[in-house]
Amino acid sequence: MGLEMEPLLQAWSYFRRRKFQLCADLCSQLLEKCPGYQEPDSEFTVSQAAWSLKTRALTEMVYVDEIDIDQEGIAEMMLDENAIAQVARPGTSLKLPGTSQGGGPSPAIRPVTQSGRPVTGFVRPSTQSGRPGTMEQAIRTPRTAHTARPITSASGRYIRLGTASMLTNPEGPFLNLSRLNLAKYAQKPKLAKALFEYIFHHENDVKNALDLAALATEHAQYKDWWWKVQIGKCYYRLGLYREAEKQFKSALKQQDMVDTILYLAKVYFRLDQPLTALHVFKQGLARFPGEVTLLCGIARIYEEMNNISLAAEYYREVLKQDNTHVEAIACIGSNHFYSDQPEIALRFYRRLLQMGVYNCQLFNNLGLCCFYAQQYDMTLTSLERALSLAENEEEAADVWYNLGHVAVGIGDLNLAYQCFKLTLANNNDHAEAYNNLAVLEIRRGHIEQARALLQTASSLAPHMYEPHFNFAALSDQVGDLQRSFIAAQKSKEAFPGHVDTQQLIKQLKQHFAML
Amino acid sequence: MSLFKARDWWSTALGEKEEFDQGCLCVADIDNSGSGQAKITVGSYMGYLRIFNPHPVKPGDGMQAEDLLLEVQLRDPILQVEVGKFVSGTELLHLAVLHCRKLCVYAVSGTLGNVEHGNQYQIKLMYEHNLQRTACNMTYGPFGGVKGRDLICIQSMDGMLMLFEQESYAFGRFLPGFLLPGPLTYSSRTDSFITVSSCQQVESYKYQVLAFATDADERQETEQQKLSSGKRLVMDWVLNIGEQALDICVVSFNQTSSVFVLGERNFFCLKDNGQIRFMKKLDCSPSCFLPYCSVSEGTINTLVGNHNGMLHVYQDVTLKWATQLPHIPVAVKVGNLQDLKGVIVTLSDSGHLQCSYLGTDPSLFQAPKVESREINYEELDREMKELQKIIKESTKTQGTSILHIVQAIDSEVRVEAVPSVTVRYCITLQSRLAVQKTKLSICVQPPLALTHDQFIFGDIGKVFFYSVALSVFLKGNCPPAELEGNAVASYSMPTDLNPEGIPRVAQCKFRLPLRLICFPAQPSKTANHKLTIDTNKSPVSLVNLFPDFADQSNEDQVNVLGFQFLTGSRITLLASKTSQRYRIQSEQLEDLWLITKELTFRLEEHFKKQNSKDFTCTFSGSVPLQEYFKLIDRHFELRLNLLKRRLLTRFKDKTPAPLQHLDTLLEGTYRQIIALADAAEENQANMFQAFTKLKSATQLVIMLISLWQKLSTDQVTILEATFLPLMQDTQELGWEESVDAAISHLLRTCLSKSSKEQVLTLTSQLSIPKDTSRLKKHITLLCDRLAKGGRLCLSTDTNIQQTMVMPGGCSPIPESDLEERTGVQDSTTMFTNHR
Repeated sequence: MGLEMEPLLQAWSYFRRRKFQLCADLCSQLLEKCPGYQEPDSEFTVSQAAWSLKTRALTEMVYVDEIDIDQEGIAEMMLDENAIAQVARPGTSLKLPGTSQGGGPSPAIRPVTQSGRPVTGFVRPSTQSGRPGTMEQAIRTPRTAHTARPITSASGRYIRLGTASMLTNPEGPFLNLSRLNLAKYAQKPKLAKALFEYIFHHENDVKNALDLAALATEHAQYKDWWWKVQIGKCYYRLGLYREAEKQFKSALKQQDMVDTILYLAKVYFRLDQPLTALHVFKQGLARFPGEVTLLCGIARIYEEMNNISLAAEYYREVLKQDNTHVEAIACIGSNHFYSDQPEIALRFYRRLLQMGVYNCQLFNNLGLCCFYAQQYDMTLTSLERALSLAENEEEAADVWYNLGHVAVGIGDLNLAYQCFKLTLANNNDHAEAYNNLAVLEIRRGHIEQARALLQTASSLAPHMYEPHFNFAALSDQVGDLQRSFIAAQKSKEAFPGHVDTQQLIKQLKQHFAML
Repeated sequence: MSLFKARDWWSTALGEKEEFDQGCLCVADIDNSGSGQAKITVGSYMGYLRIFNPHPVKPGDGMQAEDLLLEVQLRDPILQVEVGKFVSGTELLHLAVLHCRKLCVYAVSGTLGNVEHGNQYQIKLMYEHNLQRTACNMTYGPFGGVKGRDLICIQSMDGMLMLFEQESYAFGRFLPGFLLPGPLTYSSRTDSFITVSSCQQVESYKYQVLAFATDADERQETEQQKLSSGKRLVMDWVLNIGEQALDICVVSFNQTSSVFVLGERNFFCLKDNGQIRFMKKLDCSPSCFLPYCSVSEGTINTLVGNHNGMLHVYQDVTLKWATQLPHIPVAVKVGNLQDLKGVIVTLSDSGHLQCSYLGTDPSLFQAPKVESREINYEELDREMKELQKIIKESTKTQGTSILHIVQAIDSEVRVEAVPSVTVRYCITLQSRLAVQKTKLSICVQPPLALTHDQFIFGDIGKVFFYSVALSVFLKGNCPPAELEGNAVASYSMPTDLNPEGIPRVAQCKFRLPLRLICFPAQPSKTANHKLTIDTNKSPVSLVNLFPDFADQSNEDQVNVLGFQFLTGSRITLLASKTSQRYRIQSEQLEDLWLITKELTFRLEEHFKKQNSKDFTCTFSGSVPLQEYFKLIDRHFELRLNLLKRRLLTRFKDKTPAPLQHLDTLLEGTYRQIIALADAAEENQANMFQAFTKLKSATQLVIMLISLWQKLSTDQVTILEATFLPLMQDTQELGWEESVDAAISHLLRTCLSKSSKEQVLTLTSQLSIPKDTSRLKKHITLLCDRLAKGGRLCLSTDTNIQQTMVMPGGCSPIPESDLEERTGVQDSTTMFTNHR
C-alpha cells in the first residue's frame, strides 16, 4: 500500500489524530524491535520516544478530566473531619440547603432532591453529592442516581476506570509499576510527565503517582507549577484537602492557570466553604475574563446554595460567552419551567433539540413543557418519543410518571392510575408515583390502600413533604388525630413554609387543647 | 452541538485509502497568476500532490474535471507542503514539499489554452536537499530579517533543527532536552523559533543564538558533548503550559504579535515575551486551529476544529460561531477562492477536502421517525376495550395455576419395624407452555417424618407427567397433632417479555391414613374423658366407617371400636344403635382429637357418597375446658422450667472464682453446664411433646366449639387463627401470650358487649405471663360470649371505623393540596456531562 513511512513518524502522526490504538500498536512494534525494550533509561532516543509516545497514547485512551470527576463515597461524607463548623452560619455552608437568601422557589413549586436542594436542570457528578445529614440518608440511593454510592471513593468509579484500562491490554499491563525506579525517572522531566499521567490516569495508582510527583518537584527545585498541581490532585484523591489546597495555591502563585483555579475551587467546595470557592472563581475571572468553566462553576455553587436567581444570572453570562453550552441552556430552561414560564422553557429545550441533543430526558421535558404551555398536540408525541428513547427502566418510569400527570391534568383518572402503576412496575422506588397513586385511591374511597401507599412513599422519600402532608390530611379526616399530628410535623420539617401544613397543625393543636 | 452547519461551497474526496495530516494542506496563489486567486495544494502520505482551483457554478457543486489543475505522484510520502519565496533571485512563490528524507522546491506554472479545459499546468523541480535525518515538520520565514526571500527550517524526528538558505544548507542544531517533536513556527517580529517540547513547555529560541551555537555536525557523537552542546543553546523564554501541543501559530498585527498555542485541552494566546495573554479551556479535544486577524480592533479570531466534527470561531475567548462540519478536520485554512473572500478550507485525514462558508443552514438533526401506523379509531377503540377488560380481570383474579399436583397414598401401611406409608405425587402440566425450575417440597408436622422432602425437576419441557414416591413414618413417642401434610410445587412460567419466568406456586394438602399412627385394639369400657357427637342422620355401622380397623367377622365392632396409638394410649369409639350419637372416650383429652376428627371426616364422606347433603354434626355437651386448662398449665410449667434452668446457668457462670485452681473450677463449671444443657435439651423435647398435645387438644376444642355453636367455616377459620398462631413455640414468644393477645382482641372487638370495652387497651408488648389464670379467664369468657350468641366477624372492626368517620361528613380532600405538582419533579434533564 504505497510508500513506506518512518514508523515513529507514523505513530506520532497517529497520536496527533487521536488514533491511539494504532499509535500504541505501532509503538509496541518499535519497542519490540529495539533492544532497549522496557528500559527507556538508556539514551537510545527512538526507543525512549516510542516508550513515551505509547504511555501518552494509553493515557489518552482512558483520560477523563479530573475536574469533572467528583465522587464522594459514604465514608468520606460521614467521616469528614474537615468540616470547620458543625453548625454553620446561614449562607456559608452547603450543608444547610434551606438557608436560601436569593429567594429560591419553594418546594411546592420546584421539587427538591434528597438533600433538600431544588432539582437542577443538568445532572453532573456533584449533583448527587449533596451532603446527607445521617448515615441512613447517605446509604439510600437518590432516585436520580443510577447506582448506589460507593463506600469510599477509593473504590467505585476509579476502580472501574482502572479495570477498564486493563482490558485493553490482554497480555498484561504495559508497565510494571512496582519495578519502576521512580527516582530515576524523576530526574528526566521529559519522560516523567508522561509517566506521571500514565500512572495517575491509566493505572490509577495514586500513591505511586504521588511518590513520582514528589521526587520530580524536588528535582525541579519546586519551580514547576505543573508538578505542584499534580501533587495537589493526588492529595485530593487521598482526601488530604488542606495539603492539596496548599499545593494548588503555591502553583497559582507561580502561574495563573484555569485548571489550577478549578482544582482549588473544587477543594474549597469539598471543604464546604462555598464562599471561598466563589472568591477563588471570581479572582480567576479577573485574570481570565469570560472563561466559561469559571462562570459555570460560580453558577453551580449558587445553585447548590439555593440561590437560583444568581445562578441563572451566571448561566446567562455563560451563554454570552458560549451560546452552545448545553448545561447552561438546560439549567436556564428548567429554571423558567419552574418559575411558571413553560413557553420560554420550551424554547430553550427546543434549542437543545436543534443542537442535536436527542435523548429521553429532553423529550420528557419537551412533553411536559408542551403540556403546561397548553400545546396539547405535541405533548403526547413528545412523551411517546421519550418512551421509545428510554434506555433503562428508570427513564421509562419517569416518562410514565409524567404521562400519568398529563392524564391527571386532562381528568382521565383511569389512565392516570394505570400510568402510575406502570411507573411502579418500571421503578419500584418511585416515591412520587406512590404518592399520586395514593391520592387517586383516596378519591376512589380506598382509605386503607391510600394509607399504605402514602406510608411507602414517605419511607422511600422522607425529604418530600407531600406524602407526609397527604397522610396527615387523610388521618385528620378519619379522625386519627395523633398520627395526623405526627405526619404534619414531618411535613413541616420537610417544608417549613407550607401554609396548609401550618394550618393543619394549628387546627390539630386546637383540637388537643379542647380535649 | 451546534445549531448550524457549514455551508458547502465545493467539496471532493481525494484518492482512495490515502492518509493526510496537519501539514498536507496549503492555500496560496501557487502559480503566481497575480489575480489574487488562491489555489489549494494538497499532499498525501501516499505521495500524491494535487493542486485544485475550485470554481463551482453554484455553491454545493462537486468537483469538475477542470478544477484539478495538477496531480502528480511523487516517490516519497509528503509530510508537509508550504508556499513561499524559496528560490533566490526571484520573489515569485514556489512550492516546498517535505518528504521524510528530502526537501524539494518546485515551481508551478501554467500554460493557458484556448479554452478553459485546455489550460496546462506543470511543476518543475528547482532544487532539492537530501536529508541525513528523518524530517518531521518545517517552518519558513525571513530568518535573520532578510528581505524578499524565505528560508526554511526543518525539524527532524530526533530533535535537530536544519536550516536551509534556499539552495544551500546553512547549519543544524540539536534542541536540548528533546524527546518527541512538537509543532514549530517562526516569529518574524522577535526573529525566533517557537516550539513546544516534551517537557510540556513552550520554548523560544532566537535565530541568532541558534546560529552562533556549536554546530551539531562538527560535534562528536559522545554523550558529554551532546549535553554540553545542548546547554550552550539558551532559550529566549520558556513557558510551562502543562500539556502537549497540537499546533502553534504566530499572528502579527499592529506592531505586536501573538503566539497561539493549541494544546490538547486548552488553547493559549501568548505575548511576545511568553506571558499568557489569555487562555481558553476547551470542551472537546481539538484537532486543528487557525488564528487570523479579526475585523474588530484588538481582537483575534481563531478557528478551532475538534474531534466532534465541529468548527468553532472564537473572538479571543468568546465563542462567536459554531458550525458542524461533515468530517473531523485535521487541517484548516482560509483563502480567497474565485472572488470569494475567506473561504474555509478543511481537510480530513481520509482525504475529504471541503471549501465551505458560514451560514445559517440549520444543522437539523433528523430525529428518526417513531413507528407510526395509520390510526383506525374503531380498531383502536376495540383494542383499548379488550385491554381494559384484561386489566380488569387481572386485577380481580390472580390467574389460575396450570400445574397440578395429584397425590395418591398407598392405602396399605406396611407394618414392619415402623409403620410407614408411601405417598406418590404426580405433577401434571395442563398446558403446552414450558415450565421452568420446578421444585416440589413436602412437609408434615414434626412427629411425623419423611424420607424425602424436596424434589427438583428443573425444566419441564414436553413431558406432562411426573411422579415421585416417598414414605412417611412416625418418629418420636407422641402422636402427632394432625395427620395432614402439605405439598407445594413452585415453578416459573416464562413469557415473551419475561424470559426469566413468573414464579408460581401450586399446592395441595393431603391426609395421611389413621393406620399410620394407630392400630386396632380391644375397646375399653372405662375412660376419664368422654365426648359425645350428635348427628342428624341414622347411625352408621362402624364397620362401614372404619373398614381398615374393623374385623368383618367380629359382630361387636358394629358398635364398639378400639384404637391404640403407637405411643400406647387407647381410645374407644362407641356408636349408639338407636340414637344418632357417637361417643369417643379415652384416658387423655388430647388423644381424642385425632379420632374425633377422623370420625367426623369419615361420616361426612360417607354421607356425601349417599348424596345426603344436610348432614351435620353437633356437640351438645359442655366444652371440656377444665381438662384443656390442665394441658395449658402443663405447657406453661415446662416453659417456666426452661426459664429457670437458664437462669441457673447464668448464676453458675457468674460465680466469682478464685484464681487458684482455675482449671479445676472451669472443668467443674463446664461439666455443670453440660449437664444443664442436657437437661435443657430433655426439657425442650418434653416441651415439644407438651406442645403437640396442646395442639391436639386445642384443635379438639375448636372443633367442639364449632360443632356446639354451629359456626360457619369463616368463623372456624377465625377461631383457628386465634388459637393456633402460625409460629414456632419458643422461649421469647410462646403460645400462651400470643393466644391471649388474640383472644383479648376478639373479646375487645367483635365479641364485646359494650362500646366501653373497645377502648380497653392492652400492653402492646407480648411477654411471658406470670401464670395462666388470665388466659383461662379469657378462654372461658370467649366460650361464654359465643354461647350467648356472639358471632365472630372481623369485618366489623372496619365497620366501626367507618362509622367513626362518616358522621363528620368529611369534605373531599382538596386536590390542589394533595397533588402538589410532584409531576414536575421529573423534568430534570439528565444530560451526562459531555466532554
